Amino acid sequence: MFNSKLYIPRAAIVENVKELTYDTRLYRLKFKYNCKCKSSSVNDFKCGQFVQASVLGAGEAPISICSSPTAQEYLELCVRDVGRVTRALHKLGKADELGIRGPYGNWFAIEELKGHDLVFIGGGIGLAPLRSVIKFVLDKRDDYGKVIILYGARTKEDIVFADEIENWGKQENVSVFTTIDKPQKGWTGHVGVVTTLLDKIKHAFKYKAFVCGPSIMIHFTIKGLLDLGWAEEDIITTLERHMKCGVGKCGHCYIGDKYVCTDGPVFTYAQINEMAVEV
Amino acid sequence: MSRYEENLWIITRDNLFALMEVFIKTREVIAPVRGHGGEVIFYPIETIEDVAWDWQYVNAVLPPKRFFLPQTEVMFEYRHDNSYKITPHYDDQVRMIFGIRPCDVNALIFLDRFFGGGSLSKESTDEEPLFPDSHYIKRRANTFIIAFGCHQPGENCFCVCCDAGPFLEEDYDLQLTSMNADYVVEVGSARGLKIIYGNEHFFRKASSDEVKELERIKEGALNTFADTCAYVSKAIRRITEGKVDDSLWEELAERCLDCGGCSYVCPTCCCYNIVDIALSDKSGIRTRTWDSCAFAGFTRIAGGEILRSDKKDRLKRRFFHKLSYRYIEKNKRHGCVGCGRCITTCFADISMPSVIEAVRRQ
Repeated sequence: MFNSKLYIPRAAIVENVKELTYDTRLYRLKFKYNCKCKSSSVNDFKCGQFVQASVLGAGEAPISICSSPTAQEYLELCVRDVGRVTRALHKLGKADELGIRGPYGNWFAIEELKGHDLVFIGGGIGLAPLRSVIKFVLDKRDDYGKVIILYGARTKEDIVFADEIENWGKQENVSVFTTIDKPQKGWTGHVGVVTTLLDKIKHAFKYKAFVCGPSIMIHFTIKGLLDLGWAEEDIITTLERHMKCGVGKCGHCYIGDKYVCTDGPVFTYAQINEMAVEV
Repeated sequence: MSRYEENLWIITRDNLFALMEVFIKTREVIAPVRGHGGEVIFYPIETIEDVAWDWQYVNAVLPPKRFFLPQTEVMFEYRHDNSYKITPHYDDQVRMIFGIRPCDVNALIFLDRFFGGGSLSKESTDEEPLFPDSHYIKRRANTFIIAFGCHQPGENCFCVCCDAGPFLEEDYDLQLTSMNADYVVEVGSARGLKIIYGNEHFFRKASSDEVKELERIKEGALNTFADTCAYVSKAIRRITEGKVDDSLWEELAERCLDCGGCSYVCPTCCCYNIVDIALSDKSGIRTRTWDSCAFAGFTRIAGGEILRSDKKDRLKRRFFHKLSYRYIEKNKRHGCVGCGRCITTCFADISMPSVIEAVRRQ
């Protein structure tokens, strides 16, 4: 753990803030002090895990880590201004302090997928947890096969990590397809929800598929992948819940007998099916 | 029978009063007290006379859960001058709960496992717990349990159906059972035995006749549970297998008032929320408060979507959590101890027995 006491956040300092869209920012963090705790260094986490980020007085919210553990020096969180805590986070600037607990949850088993071809399908800010894996894979490029990235946003102003997405597409053996929901002035790319890009990966049903986005997007994407012949075990998603504790106690993130914070947030579609709930 | 010590002890009422006065001087003693409205609640006492000695009640209207998981507790306070300074709050108060009933003790054992990863009152052999909750564990470890066995069930009691009473077999410090004018004392832990030996002049060893009499009392108490639900295991099986038709939950949802009372009075319900309260621009507290899966906002996520917006899904969840074998496997018992408080509390008659009965009839 980054923090030594269960509910006590560890102080982190905002090293840099980047505007990603009109309502989404990327925070680059470092810990303020060293800590005699188990995972004391800022990159001691795995792709897909999340932290509980605190602005004291406003509260605490679960945010997935969007940097890769291959980045040695910092932790990055992608925060959209949607509620009390995220609004308070948005008021923070460079050198300001916030609290971090974690890392919590399970992770994408990316290290066990060496040699595999991978497809990433993201919707909106759902790209954030996938970005952690994508960066990990690109940093260890020789360990993995082909990479296809499908990304959809509501409008072109909603696209997060636009410059990074462009750079990913320039790398060898990486294809990137981006779409926005409705036609828009100044947009010459694909138009339609992200599932309209699925025919780009018709041939790729042997790839491992990572899906993250709003629940409706996950629902239709998985349906589309199954129609294309994907196996349930090869569809990997990460679920959103508002955990209050992050450690399997407060009860808020239940699905059947599972808690998304400790049993998830990463599940294969086969596991989700077994839990017998809508995504 | 798994008492810590095979010996039974006898304490007279006068000696018990005297012993309790000793305890009151050295720790906070929580006991059943009659409130202004006539109801019985667990409350700190100043003298042994405060205890509702008439025993005209069987159990307090609320479980003593709040002495382990307060309805609102401060987890830490913070100050912000140039940087944040966090001061954690832990409750180190030494307590004794006197007069707690076996159902409520079983509920504590359930919470021990959930928050601490094992039964706390004895050496745990369970695997290392995941994220032990020190706020709970400190309170629990500092609380001495004097339980009172039940001679007779109350109007809504069904502990016998839930393997949670009317007497404790283990995981208490001392268990008292009234016998004639005195009390038989069973010892359930090392610290229980220490109390006996530290105050030996108040106790005498029970005679063999008294030992037999206690067994008779226990058997007799069991026989007074006449008309209780005996279909718990059927409900467990049908809920685990997903064989309960949604129409049952729909029917209950029409009656449910969404008040969350069932969770608040339930001795095993322990879901919580974490809320910051700013006391000034520069200082404040982070609190943990009770929450309930009955509330619509319980599953609200960023952007305002509520994942279990349908009341029937929330009711289904509550009983799945209490009764599904998947949870029994984790918690080593199902989530009901048969205290009957949900029966007393729910305006809409959505209690454990009524749901079990509805599942049976479906």
